[in-house]
Amino acid sequence: MKKRTQWLGLVLVVVICVTMVTPGQAFALPVNPPKIGLVCLNGPTFNLVATSGTIHTPDGNTVFMWSYADSSGSFQYPGPFLCVTQGQTVTVNLTNNLPEATSIVFPGQDAQVTPAGGTAGLVTSEAAAGGGTVSYTFTASQPGTYLYESGSDISKQVEMGLYGGLIVRPSMGANFAYNDASTQFDPTREYVMLLGEVALDLHHAVETGTTYDFNTKVNRYFTINGRSFPDTIQDNSSLLLPTQPYGSLVRIQPTNGSSQPALIRMLNAGADNHPFHPHGNHTREIAQDGRPLLSPGGASASTEHFGETIGSGQTEDFTIRWDNVSTDTAGLSFNDNWDPNTNPIPVAQPNYQNLTFKDGRTWYSGSPYLGYKGTLPTGTVSLNICGEWYFPLHSHALNEFSNYDEGFGGMGTLLRVDPAGGCFTAPSGTALVGGVLKSGSVTALALNDTSYYQVNPKTTTRPTTSGTMSTGSTTLTVSSAAGFPTTGNYYIRTLDTAAGSQEVMLVTGGQGTTTWTVSRGQLGTTAQTHAAGVTVSALATDWYASFSGVQAGSQNLKVTYKGENCGSTTSASCAALTTNLPLQTTKICDWSISGAAGCATATSNGWVTLPAPQSIAVGSSDVSTTWTLPGSGANYIGTGSYLGQVRVLIHTQRWTAASPTPFSTWGNFMQLVYDAP
Amino acid sequence: MNTHFRKITRALLAFVVTMSGLALTGSMAIAAPVTINLCAVTGTATLTGSVTVPVWGFVPKGTQADCSDVQNTATLPGPVLSVNELDTVTVNVTNALPAATAPVHSIVFEIPGVSFNPGPVDAAVGATLSVTFTANAPGTYLYQSAGDSGRQEAMGLTGALIVRPTSAPDTTIAGQAYHSTSSAYDVESVLVLSQVDLNFNASPDTFNLNTYRATYWLINGKAYPDTAGITAAVGQRVLIRYINAGYDNTAMMLLGMHERVLARDAHLLNNPFDANAETIPAGGTEDVVVTVPATAPPGANGFPLFNRNLHVTNGTPSNDPGGMLTFIHP
Repeated sequence: MKKRTQWLGLVLVVVICVTMVTPGQAFALPVNPPKIGLVCLNGPTFNLVATSGTIHTPDGNTVFMWSYADSSGSFQYPGPFLCVTQGQTVTVNLTNNLPEATSIVFPGQDAQVTPAGGTAGLVTSEAAAGGGTVSYTFTASQPGTYLYESGSDISKQVEMGLYGGLIVRPSMGANFAYNDASTQFDPTREYVMLLGEVALDLHHAVETGTTYDFNTKVNRYFTINGRSFPDTIQDNSSLLLPTQPYGSLVRIQPTNGSSQPALIRMLNAGADNHPFHPHGNHTREIAQDGRPLLSPGGASASTEHFGETIGSGQTEDFTIRWDNVSTDTAGLSFNDNWDPNTNPIPVAQPNYQNLTFKDGRTWYSGSPYLGYKGTLPTGTVSLNICGEWYFPLHSHALNEFSNYDEGFGGMGTLLRVDPAGGCFTAPSGTALVGGVLKSGSVTALALNDTSYYQVNPKTTTRPTTSGTMSTGSTTLTVSSAAGFPTTGNYYIRTLDTAAGSQEVMLVTGGQGTTTWTVSRGQLGTTAQTHAAGVTVSALATDWYASFSGVQAGSQNLKVTYKGENCGSTTSASCAALTTNLPLQTTKICDWSISGAAGCATATSNGWVTLPAPQSIAVGSSDVSTTWTLPGSGANYIGTGSYLGQVRVLIHTQRWTAASPTPFSTWGNFMQLVYDAP
Repeated sequence: MNTHFRKITRALLAFVVTMSGLALTGSMAIAAPVTINLCAVTGTATLTGSVTVPVWGFVPKGTQADCSDVQNTATLPGPVLSVNELDTVTVNVTNALPAATAPVHSIVFEIPGVSFNPGPVDAAVGATLSVTFTANAPGTYLYQSAGDSGRQEAMGLTGALIVRPTSAPDTTIAGQAYHSTSSAYDVESVLVLSQVDLNFNASPDTFNLNTYRATYWLINGKAYPDTAGITAAVGQRVLIRYINAGYDNTAMMLLGMHERVLARDAHLLNNPFDANAETIPAGGTEDVVVTVPATAPPGANGFPLFNRNLHVTNGTPSNDPGGMLTFIHP
């Protein structure tokens, strides 16, 4: 008896192990795909596996499905998007792990599809149940968007999920949908929406091996790329949805005459026709069933839609633009050209205190202006990042815009309109880390206008009791070190009134105290004797602006700063400064180096110089410069107590002359632009 | 189309030609008047295998004024009526449906897209209606009886009307569906799409239409495997005239070639387009031309043409394959 128990235990262990490595539990498809947009499985040879698995629905249900896996055999729904280029010879090798014969047909492929292996079926050659194989070969003769799907036991197998998309790129180039100039699009904004339906009872019957009457079919879930809203807006390959790798969030930015539209490829693998309704802007249908819509003369015959039915088995390609146009043909302002400062909406906005949001949650920023955030009622949770706009794209058969009759859900996703260039934000605070505020505040940096944030160099004096400083002395005593750097070497100069007696020194020790160790006669000056009480000034102004609320995961940070330097520390107007110009260096806080301490003072080690151009000569005319940090912004966005904070340091130093004269740094405008996640 | 329909069509065509011939003795500028006499009668349709179902339908009139000689001969759908452009057409329909009080079984004859001359369009049981119109626009039309609030269409009182283009009165443009040469064809295939719910047909007067659930999906009154194939050789242009006489918007998918969609509801499109999954709305008609390619079809049966709404099953519980499925083959 004991022996038998041990055996049972061993069997149990083996079973568990097998279960853990069963295909379908592994994550499907690319490990690091683009977060949104089309994810291709590139050909022209594809190895697909018809297999079963489960998907998850937003209401907590799990559904047994059949679908096509890639060569890994890991279940995913729908099948991979197969991408090839026109003219390629495409081979699809199918292995059938299902309990009945199956096959693939390629609607819209007018070139001959030649099956190999397998056994003859009703429509095409089939792979036998339980590991049978069959291959299909064809030339991708025409570009376009196509379905591939089961050609066996069609009513059951297609409904169970055996379908996917096939993208044939035109010989004209990957930034065209077809070999027609009118089908050009922005290849960084290529989207796909494969529509499907789930009749839960059928899936249950197939899973349990019971009889099902198709005449009683009722669809309970409606999917885009295998997911139901709101799962549709999750990233591609989200770990939350291990068998449903494809999101369908559409992101665009305002377009103009020189920018190309986004492309949305729509495929209806469902049995029902789906009337698809874009909010926010019309879409333009440019092709159907893999053929561009052209007039008999060859001109584009595309059509605009705010409600277009994607028929069962059909594909339709759409472009979508967001043109930043100020007036329409009737002279009326429209679209997103409104600006709170230059082109305000000509009606009063409702008081935020009068607004209510369902469940206290909203995508709304609180501001009607693109790229701006406003005030929301207390307790409201805004999912908005930086004033971007969200619009639903959904089936207008509203029963399909639900999950098991519970709305909103199902066949819906979001169109996200980001501000032109990305999220933008103005500084929320400033700090002087080497200088004295002359005039202005952080708000002066928000707009490119005539108000300035003005900073003078920090000054102190030699105490009257300190006596005369000889030319050989390396000790400089000052009344106060406040406002001067506390670490690192920095330049100061004396403001002796006698002509030629001013001197630049380099502070090399005693930083943060009133007794500094200095190197004499720097930057082309010569050591002089200095009387007690003489004014000592920093040679540079150092201040930083801080931005707040920058979302973790933001990328491609771009800093723009526009400012000037003026020849007087006292004048209310900018005194001309046209020669011997101060040099401006811009740095950003890398929080990963020493945390907040690394960016506490002007000379702390956490400041890293932004990319070129740097050491820019800036006189009394505004100079605007933008610096871009491509890729992840993770090191530059604060965490913990400094969550979402980005700091940018402006260091301006007038040092090329033998005798620098006082100047003042005037900041006009600073902005951070970034791609929010 | 199956043999049965072809016979009826031929008979009617012969009838039309005869009438046209008579007209030649009259004015050359005016087309001959054409008279079509139909009976609305009961009958039995055989679906697949041994499944039979009572139907109502239009049939050509025989020799008896009360249609008694053709009673119980209806099948699905009605005969294909074929007339020429500019013909003055008179359709007489004798209502030989079973007498009833609620609903009353009155025939209400209509051809969407065609304007009848003024006059009554309905006929009570035992009566005959007569409508006259000028066939002034070539194309594909649906004729039907709208009586009994849709129950008569569901029972099968529907059919196809074809108006053929002419270059002069009574002179048809052979092998062309419209005046445009883009509609030229070698093979013509008229596909009337419809459905049957056996339970409804068993008691059409009392059945609760809210529970209507079709179990047979038909092309020219037949479900696969009984559907007729479309025979066409490589290089031939096949004109498919879709007439959706059913209640469901129907997506028909064709594998291996694109259809050139030329016309909808008997109107040529300004911008014809290519499709391989085209939805024909309920009550609508569509004309498409496909050219049979030299390439081999995906399987031995030919190029499949089937209902992509997955209505490719028969009966209850459903059997696959079935339903709206046929093949284009040599």
